[in-house]
Amino acid sequence: MAEKILAEKNLVVRHSAIELIEHWAIAISGLILLLTGIFELPVGKRYYIITLPGLGWSADYITSLYLHYAAALVFTAAGIFHLVYHGVLGEKGMIPQKGDVVKSIAVMKSFIGIGKEPPMHKYLPEQRLAYVGMAFIILMLVLSGLVKTYKNIYAPDMSYTVLLWATWIHNSFFVLFFLAFLAHMAAIALRPNWPMVRGIFTGRVRLDYARHRHTLWLADIEKIVAVPAVTVPATASSATEAELMPEPQTLTEEESLSVVKEVPVETNDEAANQKITSDRSE
Amino acid sequence: MEEHKLSHISRRSFLKISAGTALLTAVSLPKTSLARTGEKLSTLIDLSLCDGCVDREMPACVSACKTIHNDKVPQVIENIPEPWPRKTIEDWSKKKDVFNRLTPYNFIYIHKAVINVKGQHTALYIPRRCMHCDNPACATICPFSANHKNKNGAVVIDQDLCFGGAKCKDVCPWEIPQRQSGVGIYLHVLPGLMGNGVMYKCDLCNDRLSQGKLPGCIEECPRQAMLIGPRKDIEARAEERARQMNGYIYGKKENGGTSTLYVSPVSFELIGKTMTKQPGQPDMQPDVKRRMADTDPLGKAVLAAPALGLAAAGTAGALKWFSRRKELTNRVKDNG
Ligand code: HEM
Ligand code: SF4
Ligand code: SF4
Repeated sequence: MAEKILAEKNLVVRHSAIELIEHWAIAISGLILLLTGIFELPVGKRYYIITLPGLGWSADYITSLYLHYAAALVFTAAGIFHLVYHGVLGEKGMIPQKGDVVKSIAVMKSFIGIGKEPPMHKYLPEQRLAYVGMAFIILMLVLSGLVKTYKNIYAPDMSYTVLLWATWIHNSFFVLFFLAFLAHMAAIALRPNWPMVRGIFTGRVRLDYARHRHTLWLADIEKIVAVPAVTVPATASSATEAELMPEPQTLTEEESLSVVKEVPVETNDEAANQKITSDRSE
Repeated sequence: MEEHKLSHISRRSFLKISAGTALLTAVSLPKTSLARTGEKLSTLIDLSLCDGCVDREMPACVSACKTIHNDKVPQVIENIPEPWPRKTIEDWSKKKDVFNRLTPYNFIYIHKAVINVKGQHTALYIPRRCMHCDNPACATICPFSANHKNKNGAVVIDQDLCFGGAKCKDVCPWEIPQRQSGVGIYLHVLPGLMGNGVMYKCDLCNDRLSQGKLPGCIEECPRQAMLIGPRKDIEARAEERARQMNGYIYGKKENGGTSTLYVSPVSFELIGKTMTKQPGQPDMQPDVKRRMADTDPLGKAVLAAPALGLAAAGTAGALKWFSRRKELTNRVKDNG
């Protein structure tokens, strides 16, 4: 949504500020949950973790529970926010598409030098597949975690069947979460994916990289830019117009909107605008 | 058969419970013994009645408990795997007879407290076992839910699920559960790397309760020093006895409330002073706090987190919508 080409800087805006906040809220709280979840197991004393500097509290289950709760608050709220916000806005970039399994195999083969990568959207097919996997893991952890939390506060004598399910779902998906996290790190470690790393910190990736690898994504951005010229009468406005303005130094859509206000609008001629944009991006 | 059992029980529990005034009616008693009804039960331990069975080799409650439970601990394997890296092994299998403390083979013991009351040395005998707390951290944060609080109040460790990590012992203010290494499920998973046996403690004879029987200690006590019954009745009974002897109650507020009420003519302040916490020998601090209670407010916030996320998504969505609208109207104006 915030996506736009900053041609003079050789960058493409890939993530909005909101998306960056979501990612890091989930990632950091998830890591705290992983660590304090491990410390909810009797490992602190047994593995001498308590002797490590700064980890003297690792065998104190109540302290770990505080931290686990604090992180769970952020994790759960951010997860729900993500689902609802992007769900309502109808953003489907990370939902797997038909043929993703086959395509993701092609991509992986290309990593080891067999064949060429197919042209790709904003996200790689494996990213879309990993996304649903991770979303499912997170959902199960949150649901089972909420049951466990409810039990701690209100119902220590709740149904034993429900509790055993919640406990073992929590434990199994904790292992899966850890594996998924390792896989996430492994994917980042692969050289072809390196250019995306700056994206999750700054929101932008290199334009030449995107043009070369995410051909379909760039085509989409440029198509969005072109659409209003065809469908919208010159005086009418649409949200996408903001995106089609020449952007001097914008990071997010929010910012871009406020910038637009100050930029004197020189022409109503959408085609002209579009020309400016594409000129710049060439 | 069922009927015979019931009448047998109501007679017996009646005997135990009516060892004072007849406050509890026979009508409420059959329910008492039926754990499967899920009725909340409590126990009462009257320190003015317990004499520690000083005339016996082993107190009646202790030996009854041992008889019932000892053969339930499975045979300990020959070579108990050495845990890594901390090498603690707890093996009581050759010391099954110990009865002056809690062990995996001894769920109740008698502490003798000699207390100077008004210039007179008085001996009090205090049976000690799991209190079956109302919100027991030992059960709620067991990572495998091997330890669970039943609807009837009994806090029971499933020895087939327990890995023996002793977390329950660490979070119990009295460190009640005791470990036997070399038994249990951990032997079949990753012995040496995770788990270290099975934790044992009083289970309120929950199996017997569900068969309509009384807990062994209560059944065998020759002085009817212990009672079991519906929680409300036992609470009323405890209050009444405490009033009668101008005495004190322990277990009502401790660790957030328990289903074991001690009644004593001597204050628990004084009784507590005769105890030093040692492995398998809990102290008896009055008003000992339930530490996990402090985490409840944050936990409630966690339960509200989905609503928070929803509200944030609504707000962010609305903001985005408004800023777009504003932008558009501005642009329309600018463009004339
Ligand atoms: C990345 C996500 C998470 C991971 C990796 C994780 C992992 C763990 C682990 C390993 C334990 C100890 C084992 C156990 O008690 O079952 C644990 C305990 C616990 N978790 Fe999580 N967890 C996560 C998310 C959550 C969330 C979102 C909540 C609440 C909504 C939650 C609530 C709890 C609670 C209350 C406990 C304490 C033990 C108990 O009350 O039974 N967890 N977690
Ligand atoms: S006394 Fe200790 S072991 Fe017994 S229920 Fe309470 S916390 Fe658990
Ligand atoms: S409670 Fe009863 S059985 Fe146990 S020591 Fe006291 S008198 Fe004996």
